[in-house]
Amino acid sequence: MMSWLTRLFGSLFKRQKEIKLGLYGPVNSGKTTLANRICMDWLGEELGTVSSIPHETREIQMKEKVTIKNKGKSLTFNLVDTPGIATKIDFEDFVKAGMNKVESKKRAKEATKGVIESIKWLDNMDMVLVVLDSTADPINQVNITILGNLDARKIPLLIVGNKTDLKSANLDRVKSAFPSYSTIGVSAKSGKNVDGLYKELFNALK
Amino acid sequence: MNVKFKLLAYEKFKKDGFDALINDLRDSKIVMIDAKLTPEQEAYIIEQTMKQVSEKFAGIELASLSVLNEAEMGGFDKLKNALFETIIGKKRGFTIIGPAKVVHKIKKNPEELMVFM
Repeated sequence: MMSWLTRLFGSLFKRQKEIKLGLYGPVNSGKTTLANRICMDWLGEELGTVSSIPHETREIQMKEKVTIKNKGKSLTFNLVDTPGIATKIDFEDFVKAGMNKVESKKRAKEATKGVIESIKWLDNMDMVLVVLDSTADPINQVNITILGNLDARKIPLLIVGNKTDLKSANLDRVKSAFPSYSTIGVSAKSGKNVDGLYKELFNALK
Repeated sequence: MNVKFKLLAYEKFKKDGFDALINDLRDSKIVMIDAKLTPEQEAYIIEQTMKQVSEKFAGIELASLSVLNEAEMGGFDKLKNALFETIIGKKRGFTIIGPAKVVHKIKKNPEELMVFM
């Protein structure tokens, strides 16, 4: 009797599971620019700061209850922007980018923690946008490891070939590198085809 | 510069564990394992090496290659291969991992790896 009551009240008051949509990818692929674009479009405020110096995002950032709309229907998710995943972090690279030695070492330390956090958070995701820089060679171990880990966890994903506003962008190269996944090209910076991304999200999560 | 290479049987890697591998990498050795590591193993190695990053150790370069192109295999061949790999206890292929201060880049195409030092 008690277990029946527990089940009844459990189902009556069960909270709707909140969908976590993660942005994953290598360093400087434009994850935070895309997160900001989504947040500006639907909430009117940005999520994080962007920079040309690698590892600007060094902590997980989440914007709760982002609601997107399409054809009279709405879809709500928590948007999770993650630090870029890298296999190496050398403080000297930050020095070369113009930072002083103390700041560079601090940034490197924080960046390593960011990579660890990103990997740990993989298990929490319901869907992931794998954001790749479409001007860069897509066949690298970081991209392969991210995709392999999402597959192993059976987490649905969509590859977003970002920076398609740039002349050197090559979306076909991204598509041919990973033919078994759906890929969409966008420019998070200019907003090009971000509407197409929203439609894809709707189809995937609804 | 003296470059140290270590060729490691997958069985030995499994027996010695990740700590031994990371000690080798911190000791500036390039390690080659006679199996393709799983994505989870790769992620774990990245995670553990990130914890070791310092002025002297900047992380790793890592790449793995399968000896088979699964994308071009039919369903029956995939099943046969999966069964065989279950029996031998490893994925056929190889993995190369080097300290980033020694290995600057590993360029990968679907069939080969080029290591730049």
